[in-house]
Amino acid sequence: MAPRIQSRRLSNALLPYLTSSQSSSTSSISSTCPSSKLFSRQFSSTAASQTRLRRHMFQWLSTEGAALKHHIPGETNYLPSRPDRDGNSNESSRPFPGNRNFVSESVLSEDLRNEVYVRVVEKKKSLRAVSVELGIDMKRIAAVVRLVEMERRQRAQGKPLSLPYARAVHEMIPTTALAQEGERQPYHEPINDLPAHPSTGAQIFYPVPESRSFTRVDAGRVFSGAPTLEKAVADKISHPSDLVDEIIENPNSIEWVGKGEKARQVLQPADVRIPHPQLIKLEIDRKAFPNERRAVTQRHAERLEKQEAAEQQRRERAQARREKSIQHVEPEGSRFDYRIQDAKFTRETVGADGRAPWAPGRRYGVPADDRKRGMVKIPTRVEA
Amino acid sequence: MRNRASTSLSKGKIRQSWSKYNLYNLSRFRTPATGNRTFFQQKWTAKAVSRAYHGEQVREGQWKRMFSKRIRSVIPMNTADLAADDGSKESAGRGSGLNEGSGRSRSSRPIPYTQMAFAPLERRLDVAIFRALFASSTRQARQFVIHGAVTVNGQKMRHPSYLLNPGDLFQVEPDRVMYATGAPKTAFERRESRQLKQKSADAEAEAETKPEATEKDEKENARDSLRALMSQAKTIMSTDKDVLPAKKKQELRGFQKAVRRVLSRSDTSTVLTDSLEAQFSELTLLLKAKRAEKKPAKESKKEAKEEETSAATTKSEETTSGALSEAFQAAAEGGKVDTSELTDEEFDILKRALTQMRDNPIDHSKPYATPWRPREYMSAFAFIPRYLEVNQNICAAVYLRHPVARPGSAEVPTPFGETISTPAYGWYLKRRW
Repeated sequence: MAPRIQSRRLSNALLPYLTSSQSSSTSSISSTCPSSKLFSRQFSSTAASQTRLRRHMFQWLSTEGAALKHHIPGETNYLPSRPDRDGNSNESSRPFPGNRNFVSESVLSEDLRNEVYVRVVEKKKSLRAVSVELGIDMKRIAAVVRLVEMERRQRAQGKPLSLPYARAVHEMIPTTALAQEGERQPYHEPINDLPAHPSTGAQIFYPVPESRSFTRVDAGRVFSGAPTLEKAVADKISHPSDLVDEIIENPNSIEWVGKGEKARQVLQPADVRIPHPQLIKLEIDRKAFPNERRAVTQRHAERLEKQEAAEQQRRERAQARREKSIQHVEPEGSRFDYRIQDAKFTRETVGADGRAPWAPGRRYGVPADDRKRGMVKIPTRVEA
Repeated sequence: MRNRASTSLSKGKIRQSWSKYNLYNLSRFRTPATGNRTFFQQKWTAKAVSRAYHGEQVREGQWKRMFSKRIRSVIPMNTADLAADDGSKESAGRGSGLNEGSGRSRSSRPIPYTQMAFAPLERRLDVAIFRALFASSTRQARQFVIHGAVTVNGQKMRHPSYLLNPGDLFQVEPDRVMYATGAPKTAFERRESRQLKQKSADAEAEAETKPEATEKDEKENARDSLRALMSQAKTIMSTDKDVLPAKKKQELRGFQKAVRRVLSRSDTSTVLTDSLEAQFSELTLLLKAKRAEKKPAKESKKEAKEEETSAATTKSEETTSGALSEAFQAAAEGGKVDTSELTDEEFDILKRALTQMRDNPIDHSKPYATPWRPREYMSAFAFIPRYLEVNQNICAAVYLRHPVARPGSAEVPTPFGETISTPAYGWYLKRRW
């Protein structure tokens, strides 16, 4: 007969699950450094079981490295950096002691992710608005919505999830938590990042009379090699953010300079190129009317609405144009839908002799390259 | 088995790996000395050291074709500053502002451009999988891709060198991720899984009419462990029939181990480590001390919570609502604490333990130690760069954009400082420095 197992012992089944609870337990490693005497084998004639390097490694792992073996929930547990000249070494967010420029940045917590999904999908707010509210990049918001939707679908289908893994990872790395009700949501990341344009890399000596006001608009024109704005046009621009509205309505209105291969659009000021240009107008309004907070926010909302409507319209127009150029053919009794698009025979699409390798269709007399040596067949994009 | 070729102690090279050998190498790494060496030698060493970490699986010629001297960077803009003026103040006078005080007094940190020298490699699928913490090394990530465990935008992708485009969504099979990041099985667990396999094979040979036998077993395993937790002495007798005593013994041993681990990390080392009861009571006492600090719980609130949780967990177990109170009793009796009252905190902890137990059952058919726990030394390597958005629940991630440098920080994770990355960057320029 099998021995009886007492209930008290069994109740300890709880324990492995309690180890990763969120209450942080401090670690204290009894670092009893094994003395070097232990390792010296002066009078031994048997072959060493370990090399010197391995011995050092295991010694390190049992002393300094022991703290890194298991994580403490809610804290990062990286290699401690070597103390610098000032003697301060405790940098908890730098995983590499040798690299001071790399920081382990926080990720979105589970609650915050769900909140993003709720605001975008259920409350039907725009990505732009949610991005400003929560301080999350717009691309990240789109990705979060995509991922949470996928997760919900997988849960509904009963597919396997890796929940303990997710919990452990979120315990190990810093996270941005969702703020309590009534509190201000801390920003997750900077949302108005201006990408450095390659044409601004050049150092240009450009003499300007001291009497002239040289603005960001002018600087952009100089960098892209465009002629100076005419005075009549320049006077109309009181602030570089005035250009935003027109460009959002019609991005093709940006001026072009150069010919042929070197044709490029004039570099726009930072006010236009940042992801949230509408926030500048808001700041200007706030400064101009410090006592009319409600009117300012209302005007901001109107501007946002107008901008989104313009963007939506443009998207629809592009979609309609695309649809128009594609002819759908669905033969009777067939499960296929053929989409036929007219080939355009221009120098750019088929090359000078009409037989360029990127030209559409099979070309008589031109062998296919795909079996040749050294031809790379790894896909460059996967359609979603 | 550890890849002996790639993590050697004598060379001390740092790799994209979570192994303890690599951790030791990382901890003892020192910037190579430059004095007494020619510029060429310095660049050569910097290149060798950094290439051992970045794209060690990529041939040198392949990497040279990928290298780009152009480095992406961004400047975070402040809208208040942009609104304040149109830029004419900065360019006034002789081109740098009229007086010193007119410009912004913010001290702008330099952008570490050369830290981004290996940014093109971060686009590779195998590296991205490693960065998303889905594999314990880039080589393992590569294996996952080749073995067909990875999809990109929903399609199976078998090329580890596929370069992700911004917006690409990649997903790894959760079981592989749990295997890669989880603790390995002990010898005992391996034997257990062997026996399980043997048993299922026997069952199949005997009667082919029950194809879902093993699945049922797995489900019952999880339920059994739950039941074991919740039931009291008399109910154990009935459940014992289903489960082998060896299995129970093994479970107990695992728990004992876990307890020791907890205690070795806690402040009080006075606890006896031989008897489980003593340990558990110590833990409960600690809990009680914590509870005493907090405000006393309200009865009505507790009841409401109880109802909530019972509603939430009904789908998993039909007997939960009834058994929850039993679990309380069991937990309290095991610790020999007064059974009369249960605070919110204790309740929360038990609730969390129950849900975790449901999510993380003991299952010997899995290739990793169950219940799942992170592998050793994982936390020292755990970080997720900002150019990835990861959902760990489904083991999927989106490659948002290419990594960028910004004032004071670079997004490419590299263990080397600028003293190494700058000569390495110079090495790969067409017109070499």
